[in-house]
Amino acid sequence: MMFTEIKQKPFEYLILLFLLTISAFAFIYFSYDSFIQRRVIYFSAGTYFLWSLYHHYRRGDLQPSIVIEYLLIGILGIVLLSSTLF
Amino acid sequence: MNKFISRLIIPQETNNYKALLLRPSFLTLFIVVYLLNQQLIHTLSLIKPGILGYSSEITQQKVLDLTNQERLTQGLSELKYNPVLSLSAQKKAQDMFDNNYWAHNSPQGKTPWDFFTAAGYQYSVAGENLAKDFYNTDSVIGAWMKSPTHRDNILNPKYEEIGIGVVNGILNGIKTTLVVQHFATPLATSITTPEVPQDSVVPETVQVPQPEYTTQDFSSPVLSASKPLISPLALSKAIGGTLFVIIVSVLFIDGYLTLKNKTHRFSSSNAGHIGFLAIIFLLMIFSHSGNIF
Repeated sequence: MMFTEIKQKPFEYLILLFLLTISAFAFIYFSYDSFIQRRVIYFSAGTYFLWSLYHHYRRGDLQPSIVIEYLLIGILGIVLLSSTLF
Repeated sequence: MNKFISRLIIPQETNNYKALLLRPSFLTLFIVVYLLNQQLIHTLSLIKPGILGYSSEITQQKVLDLTNQERLTQGLSELKYNPVLSLSAQKKAQDMFDNNYWAHNSPQGKTPWDFFTAAGYQYSVAGENLAKDFYNTDSVIGAWMKSPTHRDNILNPKYEEIGIGVVNGILNGIKTTLVVQHFATPLATSITTPEVPQDSVVPETVQVPQPEYTTQDFSSPVLSASKPLISPLALSKAIGGTLFVIIVSVLFIDGYLTLKNKTHRFSSSNAGHIGFLAIIFLLMIFSHSGNIF
């Protein structure tokens, strides 16, 4: 299922992989600095949300319900990580 | 009941071919539940201080050894242990517990340098490193060495002496160990090993360093006798991990059945959600406790 989605738009998923990898490395690199780590989490969720807009715009199904779902998944990611660690 | 559970996790006609757990209302519920859980942990730590906390194997001796080891690898001289500086560091740690703060300057306006002078140490240059919630000494030193400003203190060639405070107590309701390093170089005219002031407040859980540091035995962990019951970080990770497993499992089921049944619908990318949440989950699981300041 996942692979079918990825096979259809490999370049877009490559961008997502790149963004998430950058975020993960930045988070680990700044492990001594919780201020920067918080910003990395916001950046990660923000870029994921922007990626979703781009992805669904290109797919032609950019619907308000889909936008809200990505927004909530992004917020869930922020809450899970930031409220656990800080 | 079974029908409701089925609607929660399996895409079907009755839920408009989208698992209810993946709908905005349930995602909002997950966020609210997790925030409430975190608030509950915070409240519990205040109502029943000491139940939650971090156990520690940190020793003053190992902090000293590892600090000097880092200096030696950089070609710098070893720092000489000074018991008066250690008293100053212990008082600083105890002051943070007593006044419930985590900073270089106290809410009453005390600076780190006030502790140096109160302990009877006259310095020409001085510095302070703070750490809390760490499990062992290696991770404390590792975190300090990763931070440019803390690393500068450890590797500052201007410092000649060091004092270390490793004190356990309850900060914001959480049982923890505070580690304080006080670096300094004495004024040329000052006595490097002055007597400890008689009116000094000595934390009960810490062994007071004697002037002859070479015979000092401070190699035992300070917190071994009173380990807290639950680590708040481990508790949060367990609950966060459970949420992650639920959501990702439903995403897999939803994606698989949608593909299998060839359901056509406007939907978000399950692969994207799984990838994003997986990164968040991994960072959460592999992050360790410990803060430096």
